[in-house]
Amino acid sequence: MTDKSKNNDNGASDGSADRVIGTPSPAEGTAIVAGSDDPGAEHPGAYPPEETHAHSEEQQRRAEKTASMWFLIAFLAGIGFFVAYFAFPPNGEGEPAIADPQIGQYSNMALGGTLALALFGIGAGMTVWARWIMPHYEVSTPYDDLSSSSEEKGSFGDFFMRSADESGFTKRPLLRRTLLLSMVPLGLAPIVLLRDTGPLPGDKLKHTLWEDGLRMVVEGTNKPIKEADLAEDGAMITAFPLVEGEGGEHGGEAQHLSLNDQAKTVVLLIKIPEGDFKPGMTEQQMNWTHNGIVAYSKICTHVGCPAALYERGSHRILCPCHQSTFDAADGAKVVFGPAHRPLPQLPIGVDDEGYLIAKGDFSEAVGPTFWDAEKGD
Amino acid sequence: MSTTTQAPKALRGVGNWIDDRFHLAKTGEKNLRKVFPNHWSFMLGEIALYSFIILLVTGVFLTLWFNPSMAHTTYEGSYQRLNGVQMSEAYESTLRIDFDVRGGFLVRQIHHWAALIFVASLVAHMLRVFFTGAFRKPREINWLIGVGIFTLAMLEGLFGYSLPDDLPSGMGVRILQGVMLSLPVVGTYVSMFLFGGEFPGEDIIPRLYMLHILLIPGILLALIAAHFMILWHQKHTQYPGTGRSEKKVVGTPMFPGFAVKAGGFFFFVFAVIVGLSAFVQINPIHLFGPFTPTAITSGLQPDWYMGFMEGSLRIFPNWLDFQVFGYAVPIGVLVPGLVIPGIIFGGLAAWPFLEQWITGDKRVHNVADRPRNAPVRTAVGVAGVVFYGILWLAGANDILSHTFSISLYWTTYFFRVTAIVGPIIGFIVAKRICLGLQRRDLETLEHGYESGTIQQLPSGEFIEVHKESSQDTVHVLESKTAVDRIDDEAIASVEESESDGVEAPAARGLKGRLRAKLAHWYTKDNVSFEGVEAHTGHHLHHGAGHEEHEEMAGSH
Amino acid sequence: MKWITARRRHPLAGYVVVLLALAVFGVGYAMVAPSADRAEAQVMAAAQTGAEPADGENAVDISQGRDIWERSCASCHGLNGGGSDNAPDITGAGGAAVDFQVSTGRMPSSNPDAQMPRKEPAWNREEIDNLIAFYEEEIGQGAGPAVPEEPPGDEPVRADYEDEDAYKEAKAEYDKAYDAYIDGASDTEAGMQLYLANCAHCHSWSGAGGGLTGGHWAPEIGDATPRQLYEAMLTGPGQMPVFTEGTITPEDKQELISYVKTLQAEPNAGGIFDLNRVGQVAEGFIAWTVGLTLIIACAIWITAKQRAHD
Repeated sequence: MTDKSKNNDNGASDGSADRVIGTPSPAEGTAIVAGSDDPGAEHPGAYPPEETHAHSEEQQRRAEKTASMWFLIAFLAGIGFFVAYFAFPPNGEGEPAIADPQIGQYSNMALGGTLALALFGIGAGMTVWARWIMPHYEVSTPYDDLSSSSEEKGSFGDFFMRSADESGFTKRPLLRRTLLLSMVPLGLAPIVLLRDTGPLPGDKLKHTLWEDGLRMVVEGTNKPIKEADLAEDGAMITAFPLVEGEGGEHGGEAQHLSLNDQAKTVVLLIKIPEGDFKPGMTEQQMNWTHNGIVAYSKICTHVGCPAALYERGSHRILCPCHQSTFDAADGAKVVFGPAHRPLPQLPIGVDDEGYLIAKGDFSEAVGPTFWDAEKGD
Repeated sequence: MSTTTQAPKALRGVGNWIDDRFHLAKTGEKNLRKVFPNHWSFMLGEIALYSFIILLVTGVFLTLWFNPSMAHTTYEGSYQRLNGVQMSEAYESTLRIDFDVRGGFLVRQIHHWAALIFVASLVAHMLRVFFTGAFRKPREINWLIGVGIFTLAMLEGLFGYSLPDDLPSGMGVRILQGVMLSLPVVGTYVSMFLFGGEFPGEDIIPRLYMLHILLIPGILLALIAAHFMILWHQKHTQYPGTGRSEKKVVGTPMFPGFAVKAGGFFFFVFAVIVGLSAFVQINPIHLFGPFTPTAITSGLQPDWYMGFMEGSLRIFPNWLDFQVFGYAVPIGVLVPGLVIPGIIFGGLAAWPFLEQWITGDKRVHNVADRPRNAPVRTAVGVAGVVFYGILWLAGANDILSHTFSISLYWTTYFFRVTAIVGPIIGFIVAKRICLGLQRRDLETLEHGYESGTIQQLPSGEFIEVHKESSQDTVHVLESKTAVDRIDDEAIASVEESESDGVEAPAARGLKGRLRAKLAHWYTKDNVSFEGVEAHTGHHLHHGAGHEEHEEMAGSH
Repeated sequence: MKWITARRRHPLAGYVVVLLALAVFGVGYAMVAPSADRAEAQVMAAAQTGAEPADGENAVDISQGRDIWERSCASCHGLNGGGSDNAPDITGAGGAAVDFQVSTGRMPSSNPDAQMPRKEPAWNREEIDNLIAFYEEEIGQGAGPAVPEEPPGDEPVRADYEDEDAYKEAKAEYDKAYDAYIDGASDTEAGMQLYLANCAHCHSWSGAGGGLTGGHWAPEIGDATPRQLYEAMLTGPGQMPVFTEGTITPEDKQELISYVKTLQAEPNAGGIFDLNRVGQVAEGFIAWTVGLTLIIACAIWITAKQRAHD
């Protein structure tokens, strides 16, 4: 690189490469925080004058006013923040204040607006200060040569190896090997300790609560579902098994399912018009339906989102996460997207009172495909 | 006006007291004189640092009320609309922060916006470092730390997103679990251990909470500190220009100029984030409703930095899934969920070493490359950006489809094709642009710039007057090394100098030949600036002007 | 021209050109895109509402209904509603379906092959009531679900009333009925679960709608009246499945409608900009385009080159 001009790297550097460019002569005195006092210099700053563009006094005065104005704005906005805080009282007993979304919005905007203005004011003031009051200059310092000299490296290497020899580590293999051996169990200990973070999978992922004779309820209202409720073509509903508490056998209250059970048992009940089922459905799959009503697991076999966008015209079930598409009229086979397995089908029927019931558990493991999902028990 | 203010006695006292214990005067002055090059793109990393500080502060505030428990409860708080709704305590306590803690809503929004800006500025900073070659020796380790920070920041964001236990957040965890389950053999075990049983269980939020507020921020803090200390020790890179060289760095000193500027910048970053949080609603969990594993919303999305994962999961087809003796190997989940992020982050981490191996360039670099002067690197970077960007867009394909009324499946097909073709086109176009710019640089360097003034020569010919470029421009243009085509010979010679004159078997053997090929590919198209002399004087540029340059080149 | 020539080499010129180009495209798109629907609706309405307003106060005028049917419906659905090649048989659809399709402006449709967006209805309330009365009387003959009377329907429109007072009175009455219906729901849990489990996957948590396969989409439901929502559940228009009175009872439907309507009416506690409640995609977009851009603008200000005396 050619040095054609007097650039920012001014003369001071040429003589003493080790010194920071433009270092003033070391200040006398004991105070370390004191600035250098050099009345003789025409330029009072810490860096040499050649490239320093001091702003005119007039400019500096104007900038001081501008910066101070920004700081004052910041101060007032900061006061405003406190005002905003106390202007919106906390919620009283039975009387929502900030819990009312409209008031909450005002409170949020008042608090945030004043805070943002205060912060911006300080930032702007400091920028005006740095740009228009401080003199502008650029200085240079040398990059350190990062690699050590070969003598230093050699000396270090010698010292290190001599010391290592002295310790006996290099010469006494029994010591070395037993030490390493002693570390192995300790290194594995944390992994063993993590064993109790959860149970072994076993066949938990392959079974759900569904069993023969279990009635179905609407998710959200726990209303038991009759066959007649889904008589209309294109009808659809999200359903859970009816798990009864005290009183048992259809007399008891519907129990609240745990989220774990919800995640596994949830089904989509769909009424498909006569004749719309595709020939691809096996006889067994047709037997699992009841008068056109078919039940599929709602949990996508890709990575487990609820696949629920049922289109009554095309009979497609679309998963909104990654757009796996299943054909409800064809055993929920995958027709598009990243999923591989069809949605598991739940065999259904009707009991004496006309309620829809399950005839057993799902045909396959529900949820995201895992290693042994398609293996039997 | 011209006398230096004496330090106040108290300050002197404190200074001396500290110095007596740490011997800091010399180091202190050296550090106050640390030089910061003046360019906005050097502030991108600072945005990340400042938003991280904001995240720490607001995060601590949020922990005062947040209760990371999945225990079931019925809401009876002051937010009327959800009265009587079943939810977890985590969701309930988030509602408390939103509607019972004054300023809580604001702080939660600041935390979320700061997280988005944090990762965005990390990416912007990383791209700046990549395209200017600032990762080269001696800064490779800092690059690796940066990649680590980026990876952890994404995880940190994902876990934080999952904590409030609202509808979309639970789905993020569900997808995470689905990807985990796809791992051959160990998948179900990993999932069972992480979740303490089946999905969702009651353990996952307390565990993610620990990771989110303790482990990952702790590691991030350590990495950021290391990143910063290494930067301080090695000093900044700088763009080429007058007076700037591999030996010395030019810029504003830390004290007073840069300290005030950086301080002001912190307030700006904070102000913008707070301003967004005050007026733009983000992640309104009270409107989403609590998580249940059976319900979902259309347009479900992760935060933007997980978008590329979502996109790759969406567009990767299921054609490659297979079974081994009846055991499922869902390639359609494994590859987009684990391999693609592995390639992206692994590729980022490996690039400095790969580039060094290809070019054999083991010199120290303190002056940043102009992206055009490393066309293949720039093109690879652009290809990477295009690939990432396509996946990112694909992660929003349902929104794109709905907003612009495009068929959903067509967006998938489109992104499947462009994810492969896009980067290739990006590579070619970026490289061509770089080479074009190199030629223009050569032109400008040789002939000055087009002044826009037309003159008529005595012969009647019209020409445009070319003027001498400014000193700074010449320096910038000349920062491109004269010869940078690498062929087999050059590699051999680099190796030679590296190993003290012992000839290296670089160009022999399969690996050596591959390397030579790559090196040739890496540099073959570069425009040579060899022997080019900068244009001087106000001579008129026309056909005859070339001889003049040849003369000057000879004298150089 | 001179002014431009002088400035075309300005460092900011490139950015200005890009911004202008973006603005031109944006404005151009905005002018072209939505106006298609609007124009269509206007043409429809102009063509069809030749009939003068009925003079009777509340009496349904079946003959006017027949008139509308013959002019605007029969060409596709057939004189007796039996359908044709490009329109379905609607004899069993029921009054609820007719009300839904016509009062949301989806019918009459100019393009029977495409899904219709919500538009201004082609007729006013009275004319639609007449059409439904005619349909129930002569086409449907009681088949299919009738128009549900309980959930409030369309808001009164000023143009349908002769003077301001009559309109205000009708409006007040309507608001009262509306509030009574929405506030009449008490079990948020049930309404929320029903909505999130059965509706949100297509219409989104906020009712903003979403994409479906085959170029279909689930529409935005913010403008839908409670009655239209009810009718949609009852009749399953387009690709939408049916939610029968058996699975989701009228009371449950009220809970569901109340949940989504209350949600949509709620002000945004987090600030005035809700990004159309699109969610994370919009948030990420704003973080980059507004957040990071503003911050970088500040950085540029801070580090901008300073010459000696500027």
